[in-house]
Amino acid sequence: MPGGLTWWHTLGSATLTVFMVQVVTGIVLAMYYSPSPDHAYDSIRYLEHTIVSGATLRGVHHWGASAMVVLVLAHMIRVFSMGAYKYPREINWVLGVALLFIVLGFSFTGYLLPWDQKAYWATQVGTNIAGTTPLVGSTMVKLLRGGTQLGAATLARFFALHVLLLPMLLTTIVLLHLALVIRQGIAPRTAVLETEAPPHTTDPAYPEYYASRYAKSKGAGVPFWPNIIYKDVVVGVAVVGILVLLARLSGAGLEAPADPSDSSYVPRPEWYFLPFFQLLKLVPGSWESAIAVGLPAALVVVLLLLPFFDRKSIRSLTHRQVAAVSMGVVLAGSGLLIGAAVREEPKTVVVPEAGRPLSSIERSGRALYKRQQCGSCHNIAGQKPVEKKQDTPDAPDLTEVGLKHSGAWMHSYIEDPLRFHKDSKMPAFGPPTLTHQEIEEITRYLMTLRGTSGAKPEFRDTFPEPIKPREKS
Amino acid sequence: MSGDHTNVTGDQTAPTVIPRRSFMRWISAGGAAILAALVGVPVVGAFISPALQKPKADTWIKVADDTALLDIGVPIRVDLVQTQDDAWVESRGLISVWLYTEDGDVFKAYNGRCTHLGCGFTVADDKKTFACPCHRGQFDVKTGAVLAGPPPRPLDVLKVQVRDAAVYVQYRDFRLGIPEQVEA
Repeated sequence: MPGGLTWWHTLGSATLTVFMVQVVTGIVLAMYYSPSPDHAYDSIRYLEHTIVSGATLRGVHHWGASAMVVLVLAHMIRVFSMGAYKYPREINWVLGVALLFIVLGFSFTGYLLPWDQKAYWATQVGTNIAGTTPLVGSTMVKLLRGGTQLGAATLARFFALHVLLLPMLLTTIVLLHLALVIRQGIAPRTAVLETEAPPHTTDPAYPEYYASRYAKSKGAGVPFWPNIIYKDVVVGVAVVGILVLLARLSGAGLEAPADPSDSSYVPRPEWYFLPFFQLLKLVPGSWESAIAVGLPAALVVVLLLLPFFDRKSIRSLTHRQVAAVSMGVVLAGSGLLIGAAVREEPKTVVVPEAGRPLSSIERSGRALYKRQQCGSCHNIAGQKPVEKKQDTPDAPDLTEVGLKHSGAWMHSYIEDPLRFHKDSKMPAFGPPTLTHQEIEEITRYLMTLRGTSGAKPEFRDTFPEPIKPREKS
Repeated sequence: MSGDHTNVTGDQTAPTVIPRRSFMRWISAGGAAILAALVGVPVVGAFISPALQKPKADTWIKVADDTALLDIGVPIRVDLVQTQDDAWVESRGLISVWLYTEDGDVFKAYNGRCTHLGCGFTVADDKKTFACPCHRGQFDVKTGAVLAGPPPRPLDVLKVQVRDAAVYVQYRDFRLGIPEQVEA
């Protein structure tokens, strides 16, 4: 091994370590998973609640996905900064770029699998973006979704890609990537390859120059075992330790089951897709499809071609102003966009309901709430449409109504609000508008609305005088 | 490669090299063990989890609310919807149980499927025998013994409990068509 290997050189092996963690945890996760809309969500709940350390396992896999992206990017930045993609490692850089996009593919397909609201709506948006491609857009959407709609075929498709195709692809390319690393060795430190170097790596004299420099550097180097490997192990333990800790402190999370009829849900992508999504918000509508498809495509092309048009033999970033500035701009820009996206994120995207999946009665109540258009006057956790009609009165916010009123009170109120407030503008929903069964379903749904503060319900209900039996018929 | 300390970088002197390298070896081996444990504990835990699960507690199903309301000497059929948990799949099946008492205190409960091929049987007009319509099997209502026909064994008797005047049974299905009573 050449001398001068830094701690930054452990990023690639750390990525490989996390990938192996993903494989091992993924295999056991697959034992408790059913890729069908009927059972996917329930199988995840079963894993989280019934299986020993199931929640930790899923948490590690979840955080591992983020770690993969972070480590691959960091590894890439290290290679870029040290000019290690230049001669003779151009092909290995190309393989690395392919690995980055496979990792993103893993993330995109894995995100859908829990089949909760977050999964469903993020994938809805993700596949729609592919649909904005000129000419082939609708074909792309059908290919991604396995049909026109996001549904059973999509879930099965994403599962197959996530556990069969992508792992095979990634493993194959990782093996090639490693084989090239072993064959070509680690790039010596930049200074070694810069003194008296021919100006371009395409100069006929460059290969000979490189070979002599590399041999000299290797002669002054240290053996792989244990001088190099111990750093990889230390970093690996630290990374995996952090993953387990994160998994224990904050698991993967599971929102309410996917509800295709709930158009009020605000979709959010995984954080590393945020710069891209935020950018799409900023560009004018006519540009959107160009950016949505063009930017990722341009990124792929630029990254793939980088080692072939940058043939200068200068390696260290301090001597490559254009490279340093463009890297700085991309990183700072992405950071700012993530920051903006996080700030804009509605605070109430947390499920407004009791923090548990709704029962079937509560779900039918929610459906009735929508069908009766309760939401055009009332608001639940920021779900009220912004452009409301002018003639709709402002009604009480129901985000925390389950903390304030008992079910009995709500049932009576919905039946006939005028009994409670003489000047109430709310229509009476008692029979024949809705049956008692239906009012009870709405009530059960409203009782689940307890905000996110975790406060205990404290009912202050005042009931009107009971209706006197009619004296005359 | 081990012991080859002529290649180390120049800023180290020979005496410190060997302890330093053996330290690195220890770190590497120890770290690898920690790594394996960090990932291995949840992975193995989840994998062997089904073997660790306790057998399900016996579930008693209520089949009658009040013993005083039940006819004496006449078997009655109780149809129940039973929820079955198969890992994360919850399914519901209709089951039936026959209840029989001679004194209102001691109850006999039979699984409502004929032991021959699993048809649902009925009580004959004389109220003393169960008759299976499929292959004309007949059973005694008092004991469940086979009186006629092809059934290979008596009716499957279920455990019964009376609590606060309500009758509970422990429902079980057994393999059909064989002389031995083996739980399905």
